[in-house]
Amino acid sequence: MLRHLFTLIWNRKRANALLIAEIFFAFVVLFVLGSLLVDSYRRYTMPLGYQYEQVWYVAMDPGNEPAARQDATFLRVIRSLKALPGVRSVSTTLYNTPFSFSDSSGDIKVNGRNANCDRYAGGDDMADVLQLQLAEGRWFDRRDDAATRKPVVISSETRAALFPAGPALGQIITSTNTTDGEMQVVGVLATTYRSRGEFQKPKPAYFRRSQPLLADADTTHLDKPLLLVRVQPTATAELEQRMTKEIAAVSGGWKAAVTTLPEERTIRMKFALAPMGAMGLVGLFLIINVALGLFGVLWQTINQRRAEIGVRRAMGATAGRISAQILGETLVVTTFGLGLGLVVAAQFPLLGVMDMKTGVYLTAMLLATGLIYALTTLCALYPSRLAAGIHPAVALREE
Amino acid sequence: MENLLAKSPETRTLPNGPATATPVLRLTDIEKIYQTKTIETVALNRVNMTINRGEFVSIMGPSGCGKSTLLSLMGLLDEPTSGTIEIDGRAVQSFSDRELAGLRNLKIGFVFQSYHLINDLAVLDNVELPLLYRSGMSGKERRQRALNALDKVGLSARTTHFPSQLSGGQRQRVAIARALVGGPEIILADEPTGNLDSVMGEEIMALLLDLNRNEGTTIVMVTHDEQQARKTQRLIRLFDGSQVG
Repeated sequence: MLRHLFTLIWNRKRANALLIAEIFFAFVVLFVLGSLLVDSYRRYTMPLGYQYEQVWYVAMDPGNEPAARQDATFLRVIRSLKALPGVRSVSTTLYNTPFSFSDSSGDIKVNGRNANCDRYAGGDDMADVLQLQLAEGRWFDRRDDAATRKPVVISSETRAALFPAGPALGQIITSTNTTDGEMQVVGVLATTYRSRGEFQKPKPAYFRRSQPLLADADTTHLDKPLLLVRVQPTATAELEQRMTKEIAAVSGGWKAAVTTLPEERTIRMKFALAPMGAMGLVGLFLIINVALGLFGVLWQTINQRRAEIGVRRAMGATAGRISAQILGETLVVTTFGLGLGLVVAAQFPLLGVMDMKTGVYLTAMLLATGLIYALTTLCALYPSRLAAGIHPAVALREE
Repeated sequence: MENLLAKSPETRTLPNGPATATPVLRLTDIEKIYQTKTIETVALNRVNMTINRGEFVSIMGPSGCGKSTLLSLMGLLDEPTSGTIEIDGRAVQSFSDRELAGLRNLKIGFVFQSYHLINDLAVLDNVELPLLYRSGMSGKERRQRALNALDKVGLSARTTHFPSQLSGGQRQRVAIARALVGGPEIILADEPTGNLDSVMGEEIMALLLDLNRNEGTTIVMVTHDEQQARKTQRLIRLFDGSQVG
């Protein structure tokens, strides 16, 4: 019977060509959308590389205070905040804090290897503030005050890219970013570090040391003094008010705005999810469109084949066999369309079209194939039942 | 009922031996009424008839007299409003769809005026069609049986042709091969020469007569052609849904 179905569909290939083309295009679009969504989900489930709960972000405006005095004021502010009950640790930071929309990057070259890295800067307490885990070496501390080379902590991706086999600690790396220049690796993070949130593609990263009032300070990059503060889990809005007042009092008039990293994350999520929602909507419209098209074509086909259905019933086909035949034919047509689609989809991992892992493409292929089969089966069910209900005596008399 | 041959069906000599009047199809008090919301149409009114094994019976009557309805009922493609149909002595009114389909497949072959071949299948695939609904038959056996059936109708050289590449007479030969391939006891032919010119019509009639005489196949044929009908063993006339001769 299967051979009969394939023979029938093959002989009707011209009549089925549009249907096959529709299934082919639907599959390719669903495969691409599926790849993007599967890759996004994969990224979502990957570790961020830091803990953002109970972390507050403090942005300060020195107002008219002369630049020469700002470092000293900034240091006083840090000390006073650290002393506040409810505050666990305080770290300076570059503007590209977790979930912010700011980026900074530089190329690192070492031993003929090259890696484009996100660059971050953090104070000695940043490892505690963001709960950064180190696989090798250490985070920045006072030992780095007397270092002859700028200390740097690299992420696991940077290590894999620059030192795939050999040791990383103690190695000298050079950044194309003129502020950073030559740096010596003092630590390697245990995981990736993705400041742009859950949907950021993992990318090599490195951290410079940033401490105000030290020769190695990086505050020159700051438009405004910024801090990340880890607070106790019991901290409330009252602490936020106290911090704002304390900063104003210690600095002699600096204005401070405090937000939490979970709030920043929510904003970032909205920006990331909006295009995904749009893609989902496009996919949904496509599915509805394909479903309606299929349904219409199958309905028309059944009406055109009433006499054939009558003949088959006369030859000994039960109503169930007729229903199964229509369903089977639809699935064979679907298989032709999917076969073509899979050939195209297979080129994506081979040519690295969307720069995703092979597993993502394979999962998307599986999902798109399953969805198309489910869709065509669903669309064929009612027409196939209609076909089964055709009265053979009436159908044979119609012509 | 009109017996056109010298011998009655009961005393007729069959190809393989002495005559025995074994009923293969019996219709008793058959009524078929088509009902809509406003109109009730009596298509068949208390029809009684017996078709014996090896007979060639023709059914005649004006258009709309119920000939095709009668053939549909004989072919188990439709159900009577009342009355009983027996095939090989078994009443079929309580049979399920599956059992009726099985009976059609094993015991009945159909030939239609407009051939009803599937245009997208080659001749051989068309002839194989009834065997697809027969379980436990290998593809090889199906193919061999289809080739044998095509050989019987003289079309073994056209197996790979499609219906659109054949003449009307050839198409009807393919349809007869399709009806024969399953080895049915009865062939029901609904105006098999109706779409053919006289020469081709004669050819098809000769083929059916040959099947009846040499293979012993029981044939019931609906026709408008008095000449063709006279070549059969028995003629049943219908008028306004009732048997009149």
